[in-house]
Amino acid sequence: MISGVAMVKGGLAVHWAIMMSLLVYAGSAQLAALPLIVAGAPLWVIVATGLITNLRFVIYSAALRPHFAGLPWGRRAALGFFMTDFTFTRFMLSAQEGTLPEHRDAWFAGVCSNNWITWQLSAITGIIGASYVPTDWGLEFTGTLALVALVGPSLNARPAIVGAAAASVVALIAYPMPFKLGLFCGAIAGILAATLTDAAQQRRPAQSENA
Amino acid sequence: MSDSVTGWALAVVIVGLALSTFVTRTSFLIAGAKLRLGARVEVALRYAPVCTLAAIIVPDILIHPPGAAIDLSLLNPRLIGALAAGLWLCWSRNILGCLGLGMAAYTLARLYL
Repeated sequence: MISGVAMVKGGLAVHWAIMMSLLVYAGSAQLAALPLIVAGAPLWVIVATGLITNLRFVIYSAALRPHFAGLPWGRRAALGFFMTDFTFTRFMLSAQEGTLPEHRDAWFAGVCSNNWITWQLSAITGIIGASYVPTDWGLEFTGTLALVALVGPSLNARPAIVGAAAASVVALIAYPMPFKLGLFCGAIAGILAATLTDAAQQRRPAQSENA
Repeated sequence: MSDSVTGWALAVVIVGLALSTFVTRTSFLIAGAKLRLGARVEVALRYAPVCTLAAIIVPDILIHPPGAAIDLSLLNPRLIGALAAGLWLCWSRNILGCLGLGMAAYTLARLYL
């Protein structure tokens, strides 16, 4: 619902907001792309930002592959496209507990379609509802707050914290760069910092064993 | 907002974003079994979203309207709203509460500071 409110209050026409919700179906990527769309950033910058925000799904799809290895191509692609953070987590939890039924693909399709319907209904409610709210209520800020709510819980490990801090500082310094490229500099600096921190964490136990 | 992306350009953006969702979510499900995810690459992919979102959020809060100077003062309504939302998140994982408190703090600061 928040993505719907934020899209309309960010300045998207209702029909475009609904189309975006139906076709893109990725809340964080939509919220990340929104300020860039409003600022008139180049198309490739907007799409690349959405792509980086979606990169976590590459890991999810690698984790799901062994479970759906026997299925035909189209079915695997469909199950993949309708997966979200929530349905992936549900599936992996049930897989760990060993409570998945025999037809795990049908079970997963059920969870995903349920989630899709709920998400689309609430997004469209948000889109249409927000179009009746005056712009000077500042509702477009809900998009930023929703991103805060998404990022907050993932700041639970040192690489994530260091990466986010580095990304923020570099994005602020590089802000005047054209085409919103400061955002990319920030993201890349953050990913580097997070990867290095993770590598340092991996190395430390080994060193203490040697000593 | 005369310079925002509209019309056909926006349609292209939507299709592009939809493709980014499709490609990332289906990548390993439709790739052959020979493709493997290296440990280093997996670490980078895991932290990419949080870093990108931080690089979007922080300037969005501290530089407003876009192009203004960095505003780190506690008179910045967006900073107040975001801090309130962040504090709520430390205390509870409830997202609606986080948005409600953040919007309330932002609105009060915007109207009265």
